[in-house]
Amino acid sequence: MNELERKLKTEIERLFDEDIVDLVIAFKKADSPLRPQPAFYKNKAELDNLNYNSLCQNNLANYLTKYPHTTRIGVVVRGCESRSVNALVVEKQHPRENLYLIGIPCKGIVDIRKIINLTGEEVNDYTEIDDEISVRVNGNKVKLDRKDLLHDSCLRCVHPNPTNSDVTLGDLLPEGDPSIVRQAVESFEAMDRSERYAWFRHEAERCIRCYACREACPMCYCTECFVDHATPRWTESSVSPAGMQAWHIIRAFHQTGRCTSCGACERACPMDIKMTYLTDKLNENMITKYQFETGLDDKTQPPFASFNMDDKKRFIL
Amino acid sequence: METRPKIVLFQCQWCLYSEPDQHWVDNELPASIHLLKLPCTGRINPLFILNAVQGGADGIMISGCLPEKCHYKEGNLSALRQNEEFQDFLDYIGYEKSRIRFVWLDLQDRGRIQRELSDFEDDINKLGKAKIMASRINLPLGGHDE
Repeated sequence: MNELERKLKTEIERLFDEDIVDLVIAFKKADSPLRPQPAFYKNKAELDNLNYNSLCQNNLANYLTKYPHTTRIGVVVRGCESRSVNALVVEKQHPRENLYLIGIPCKGIVDIRKIINLTGEEVNDYTEIDDEISVRVNGNKVKLDRKDLLHDSCLRCVHPNPTNSDVTLGDLLPEGDPSIVRQAVESFEAMDRSERYAWFRHEAERCIRCYACREACPMCYCTECFVDHATPRWTESSVSPAGMQAWHIIRAFHQTGRCTSCGACERACPMDIKMTYLTDKLNENMITKYQFETGLDDKTQPPFASFNMDDKKRFIL
Repeated sequence: METRPKIVLFQCQWCLYSEPDQHWVDNELPASIHLLKLPCTGRINPLFILNAVQGGADGIMISGCLPEKCHYKEGNLSALRQNEEFQDFLDYIGYEKSRIRFVWLDLQDRGRIQRELSDFEDDINKLGKAKIMASRINLPLGGHDE
């Protein structure tokens, strides 16, 4: 256990001792060192396998909507997760007074695929000390640089520090430069219309309709998704070009003003389909049109949930 | 002979107050225009537009009441932000934005719907047939795929 994990453990023990929470959502060690799993601690006796490092892929805000509103939940949140929690609180998915956010400033999530691309599949140990990451491959120790391994959406992260958290462990990090957010959108917009569609079609046609992106996303909490709806059937639910494109378009569009660009959808995708270039564009439009950025506080309604008569000035007459 | 572009018209049932206009839309629309009447433009879900796009529509026209004259006070405003953004989003992916047009009809505007439709048809003719995204297997009417 490193220093941060010890601090985290002490904090969680305090929460249970003082009876502040019923449940803590954090990460635990799993069979593979590369894949820590989400853990749901109900008492402090189970805390021995607590884990926190840059390999924690899931967005833990995802699990808030699975519990009744009366459950007092403590959640370990990084920058993007804290914004997802705020967005869920705005949408009344869990009352803020029944949440305890343990914030951790995040240096970025390491993409397992990038490690495997560099070293091959036989990775069986992982240690990280500051920016130096070392893995053991076939008995040999391999040193890697964190910068080469960060997930694409973490490279574009602007708010690494948790917002609105009850306690923050570790030192705050500097905010990112807002111009880097556009990278994915810029490279997509640089293409002309037919190339853009061809790129989109190429990404969408690899989809196997497993809906892992939906399950990983904290904002996709509908009990019945539009693709599962049978009467009327909104989109083809088979692996057909129209169905796959409709899924990617509408999934992204339902995130308008709600997505926090955590990239959990891309990390969950077994086919390595790029999706953040769609949601990033929508987020950017929400900032330029309505000056709204998701999750910066837990009061402001997203643009699609609020409207006013000033909108009519933009009517096309 | 050149075929006319396929147009889907989403019409708010309150936007055409003048009898002759509504009669024309209900009974005398050209065969190339498919009419879908809705209680309010606020009912339009982006999925409706996407289904029309994927079903091979060359143009989509949405006609509704002026914002302050909405039958349900502010129904069309609630949809405006979404539909506008969806139009921009489709444009970002590659579907021409100008193939989707909103018209806001005033109650006094007699004959405006005919003018708007023929203008729109001319504009769509300039753009040509929509080639991309028309990938949907046509479903029987009613939307069931059994």
